[in-house]
Amino acid sequence: MIVPLEHVLMLAIILFSLGLVCTLVWRSNVIMLLIGIEIMLNAAMLVFVGSSCHWGKADGQVFALMIMAMTSAEVSLALALVVYLHRRRNTVDVDEFRELRD
Amino acid sequence: MEQTLFYILAVVTVIGTILAITEKHPVHAIVYLVTSFFSLAVIFFLLAAPLIAMFEIIIYAGAVMVLFMFVIMMLDLGRPDEAKRPALRQWLLPLILGGIILVSIGLLAAGHSGVPDAAGEITVREFAVTLFRKYGVAIEIISMQLLFAVVGALYLGRRRRP
Amino acid sequence: MLMNSGSCGTKMKICLELIILLPLLGGIANALLGGRLLSRRGSEVMACAAIWGSFAATLAVAAVYSSPVTLEIASWLAAFDFNAAFSLYLDPLSLLLCLMITFVCGLIHIYAVGYMRDDPSFVRFFALLNLFVAAMLTLVLAGNLPLLYLGWEGVGFCSYALIGFWYKDPKNATAGRKAFIVTRIGDIGLGIAIVWLFQLFGTLSITEINKMGFLMPMGVITALGLLMLLAAMGKSAQVPLMVWLPDAMAGPTPVSAQIHAATMVTAGVYLLMRMFPLIGVSATVTAAIAVTGALTAFYGATCALAQRDLKRILAFSTISQIGYMMLGVGAGAISAATFHLLVHAFFKALLFLGAGCVITALHHEQDIFRMGGLRRTLPGTYWPFLAGALCLAGVPLTGGFFSKDGILGAVWLKGGILYGGLYIVGLITAFITAVYTMRMLLIVFGGEIPLNPPLSKGEVKPLPRIMEWPLIPLALLGLCGGIINLPDYLGRGLLNSFLAQPGSQEQILSHSTELLLQGVAVVVALVGMSTAWLRFGGLRRQLRMAEAQQQARGLNAFLLNGWRVDALYGLLFIRPYVWLSSLLWQRIDEGCIDDSLDSMASLLGRCGQWLGSWGQGRVSLSLISMAAGAALMIVWLAWMVL
Repeated sequence: MIVPLEHVLMLAIILFSLGLVCTLVWRSNVIMLLIGIEIMLNAAMLVFVGSSCHWGKADGQVFALMIMAMTSAEVSLALALVVYLHRRRNTVDVDEFRELRD
Repeated sequence: MEQTLFYILAVVTVIGTILAITEKHPVHAIVYLVTSFFSLAVIFFLLAAPLIAMFEIIIYAGAVMVLFMFVIMMLDLGRPDEAKRPALRQWLLPLILGGIILVSIGLLAAGHSGVPDAAGEITVREFAVTLFRKYGVAIEIISMQLLFAVVGALYLGRRRRP
Repeated sequence: MLMNSGSCGTKMKICLELIILLPLLGGIANALLGGRLLSRRGSEVMACAAIWGSFAATLAVAAVYSSPVTLEIASWLAAFDFNAAFSLYLDPLSLLLCLMITFVCGLIHIYAVGYMRDDPSFVRFFALLNLFVAAMLTLVLAGNLPLLYLGWEGVGFCSYALIGFWYKDPKNATAGRKAFIVTRIGDIGLGIAIVWLFQLFGTLSITEINKMGFLMPMGVITALGLLMLLAAMGKSAQVPLMVWLPDAMAGPTPVSAQIHAATMVTAGVYLLMRMFPLIGVSATVTAAIAVTGALTAFYGATCALAQRDLKRILAFSTISQIGYMMLGVGAGAISAATFHLLVHAFFKALLFLGAGCVITALHHEQDIFRMGGLRRTLPGTYWPFLAGALCLAGVPLTGGFFSKDGILGAVWLKGGILYGGLYIVGLITAFITAVYTMRMLLIVFGGEIPLNPPLSKGEVKPLPRIMEWPLIPLALLGLCGGIINLPDYLGRGLLNSFLAQPGSQEQILSHSTELLLQGVAVVVALVGMSTAWLRFGGLRRQLRMAEAQQQARGLNAFLLNGWRVDALYGLLFIRPYVWLSSLLWQRIDEGCIDDSLDSMASLLGRCGQWLGSWGQGRVSLSLISMAAGAALMIVWLAWMVL
């Protein structure tokens, strides 16, 4: 392995927290929120791939592939939702949609 | 040499992501993000996962991000130059939380010392065998999930008769 | 179970018990059966019969009386070494008082039958009246202090209930409450004294305590005496606790006659007389009693001079006369004070009953400046009333003259600067007494019938016979009462010898001094009466009537309002008390306690709402919460691992 696993993990962690920040901070645009989620998922994929390389097994890469598949499904549905909501309210501000409360 | 390459690519990824986060124009943000995905794919390649690298570029940067782009342009969210970036006050709490998580996991990760079994090259063949033999059921399930997603997206996206 | 210091047959025992039991049973029976089983006539007859039966029993006891007797009827309070039984003590003082109480109350009951003829709540009235007599007799016959206190409280309660008898008018209820509360202040003194006496002597029997007085230092005796003086001040309406008696005239007139002239107000004096062997040795106490008495006598007389309400004149007069009795006790002349107590009971009850007749005849008019000419229209009331007024003023040869003079003589005998000053005060008060008595007589009965109808409430109503004839025995007793205790130069004082304690000697005035003092008293009385005649008699009466239509001013207003003591007490005590209670009510009870509960409830509500605000459908909030939770868990994990 070209670099120690710790370094790969550090990179992944940095990317993960950046994605988290993006998710939390972008209330005014739900698309940016979804982008944050993408970043976090990528960071997870990096962890899987790095550890798969570290231990020489292919299982990590398999799982990275599955993450990708799942992400595609999720993104398509999420964006369909965004389109739908935008048609209803003509806004993409997350805080505007509050009907689901007690 | 691959080591230096890795670090350069790591820096590129991080900078790209940071720019993507702080960009107020969604299309610009997506472009930055594609950049960071590209460098991430090369990192994958360096980490002996060429297939995953290819998939990253084709599926992630190619399909998912383009889908994002489609939706952004379809929604036509108004004048992007006048869009507001979130205020500094709104950045504070997420930064704190992100920082906490970063530090904690970082400490955890740094303290890890694992012993590698055998650092060997993982070939595509080995990957395919693992995928279809060991995780065959998972593939079926994932394909069903993709089916659900297609149906759902179709349903949500249909136009109602006004 | 009898313990006696003389022979006492079973007949005497039964009669003694009957004295108290008959009124008690009469009251209970009236209360239980009155409205339901018995007719109106039946209730009235039972009430009167109870009292007259008690009088008959007292006469029977008096006939065989020879020496003091103690009779224990049943045990009552007994715990550890505290023992108070229902024990009665009969000695000359209590025997005389029982005779007077039962006789006068009997007459008043008969009078009340006529007075309350139109009142629907006669059951309550007669029951309370009987209960009152029972309580008063218990007080007088009590052999130990707790039983005395029981009677004391009983008369206080019955007085409260009877003053506020027509309770639907808030003024009457307030007057009843005022009487109860003010006498309560005095009762505290008696309560403390009783407990302290038990702590000192270990027994509460009156005879034994009186014998053991020499054991205690003078300071303790003085303190005990002052406490009992406080109790007497409350019950007998002395300064400073006299404010309740004028307002107590809100009750029916028979009540005023019975309770506030003849019996309850003398209870304080009786207490002091009973405990005199104990507390009389302290010069401070006797001086305090005498000063209280003289001051009260003066206060009552001056206030009576300016009153407009007939019953209030008599109320202040009662205050004044009881002051005389206290003065007598303070001067050490128990028999003189007792004499005045008895004769005063007769003529004051007479005056009150007469006033009741006048008021009823004039359709419940009580302002004397709206009366007149009644000597022609109500002769049956006028002559007894005149007799009572002469006794009160101290006209020579009436019972009132001899009794009042006995007290003044005893004060003179005591000597010293204090008692000399008190003698002067007593003389001045006698003068004022004569003046206000004649004023009352001349204005109410003098003159002609008011000519302009707007002043009076209508034609004079004829009175039932039953209201007028009880006045006659009282008038006779008042006029001839002097026979009971003639001064020494005329013969033996019967009362003096009857009441004399074996072994004690009361100093006797020399005959010449006594004649001199009596001469001075006669002069004072006659001068007073002529002053009143000059101001209120004949034609001048019309002038006074016209003057009285205007509002009272200056000295007149000051005296009319009882030296404005009510206002003073209101300022000193009632307003701070009301302020404090409203503070406690609004600021503390409602503000702090209620509010703290309310604010705790609303705090919980707000907490719930705040917690509930987490459940608003905002996605960003959910995301932040999730991230925070994740951060927490990860930090903890890192902490554990590292």
